[in-house]
Amino acid sequence: MRDILRITIGLTISCLIAALIMGSVFTVTDKAKKHNEQMDMQNTMLGLLGYSKSHPAPSDLALYPVYRYIIDEEGTKYLGYLVPVKKSEKQTYELLLIDLAGKLKRKYGLDLSPESAVQESERSGAMKKIVKPPNSFTYADSFIVATLGTKRLAYLLPGEFPGFKTFIKVMLALDPSFTIKGLDILEQEEDPGLGGEIVQDYFKNQFIDKSYEKMKTLKVVKKPLPEQYRRYLERGELKKGTLTSKQVEEIRKKYEDADIYALTGATISSQSVTSGIKGMVKKFAYRARRLDQVIDRQHIPVSF
Amino acid sequence: MVSTKTPAQLVFNGLLNENPIFRLALSMCPAVAISTTVMNGLMLGVAVLFVQVCSSCTIALIKDYIHPRIRIPTYTLTIATWVTVIDLVLSAYAPVAYKAMGIFIKLIVAFAIITMRLEVFASKNTVGKSFWDGIGMGLGFMFGMVTLGFFRELLGMGTLLGHDVLGFRPLLFFALPLAGFFCVGFMMAVFNYVELVFNRMKRKAG
Repeated sequence: MRDILRITIGLTISCLIAALIMGSVFTVTDKAKKHNEQMDMQNTMLGLLGYSKSHPAPSDLALYPVYRYIIDEEGTKYLGYLVPVKKSEKQTYELLLIDLAGKLKRKYGLDLSPESAVQESERSGAMKKIVKPPNSFTYADSFIVATLGTKRLAYLLPGEFPGFKTFIKVMLALDPSFTIKGLDILEQEEDPGLGGEIVQDYFKNQFIDKSYEKMKTLKVVKKPLPEQYRRYLERGELKKGTLTSKQVEEIRKKYEDADIYALTGATISSQSVTSGIKGMVKKFAYRARRLDQVIDRQHIPVSF
Repeated sequence: MVSTKTPAQLVFNGLLNENPIFRLALSMCPAVAISTTVMNGLMLGVAVLFVQVCSSCTIALIKDYIHPRIRIPTYTLTIATWVTVIDLVLSAYAPVAYKAMGIFIKLIVAFAIITMRLEVFASKNTVGKSFWDGIGMGLGFMFGMVTLGFFRELLGMGTLLGHDVLGFRPLLFFALPLAGFFCVGFMMAVFNYVELVFNRMKRKAG
């Protein structure tokens, strides 16, 4: 009996000490960790738009996140887009309630600044003031509109889809006509050396410059990657001067409509990335067109 | 059983006599799964070295207060705490290192080699000895991972540390997990043979 008591107390105390250590380390490091993650995301986004340290982004480049919610109002489902708007020189957010046929049902102004909108908790707090029970809302996803001055430069869309082993998280850059401008694999746990090669330039850069039309019919082919094409895809890693700009243009033309060359020994990973990206582009293009229609028709003063 | 070895002997013991992968055959799962390249092996090795040394010292410090019935949960708790702390600190203050090592650190909680070393060594010896034992075991594990990674990367992908060495891929098979078992087997054979020869020489000299 005394043993049981000692064991219970001993275990409880050690658990408490461990929790205390982990908890205090978490509180100390949490802010820096979040900051790092945000910086990382920012760098990924700028990298996809073609900016880097040696080629910094111009000052009139702006990134506007748009959040998509599913809203249940009196038993009917609506899409709720949280879009940034400009009202008397101030950036705030507006919630557009769009029905499944693509018509605007209602819009609400939200008291939300761009800085606080990044935080999930702040966003749902502001949403709760508008969408009151029994109506409910669930967060679906988000995308980012990049503008250069007054011109739309690109859409950045984070997404994930199942790979060979676990989910693969990616970030995709599309230009306004939905042609792929960049692809970055953020997280994956495919087999190292096989499916893990999806992060390599010679695989992921194959998606660049694929048009919206081409994406509809894109396939994976089990053929060896042509050496010339490989050098073109890896030109970012190699020293400049191995390919002249004329050669680059030629190869780009030649392989513009080519299918995706599968990775050796990782057909399933190659296929899941391809079909995942196809799905992302298809769904996004449909949604973005619907949203743009509403914005145009209703003259909503969006920031982008 | 209190150890009477000197620090140098303890480190040497971990590297060769009781090499975690090739002699004790512990933590085979990660050894086989992760040792596909030299870099992966090195990263996991560094992570294990850290956690092993920290946990060994902690357990050696508090060994008199642990009830023998709950020693294994306490070891697991200690390892988990250290893994979490290292993970959080790295992600906050060394984002570059975290990007390379993050996934390896989280793997360590369930490593047999660390729990086993705490049970066999740290819970019976002083902090100083446990520190050196931790260093030896960590280095031994790193040595094993890098050796396996060397052969598997060279034969599987024709590269070393990401640099193209051979210019072609000799045997893709070596990048697959089951080839890890073959490599471990061959290395075990080499270690056993060396021991055999060493003992024979010793007997002759004696």
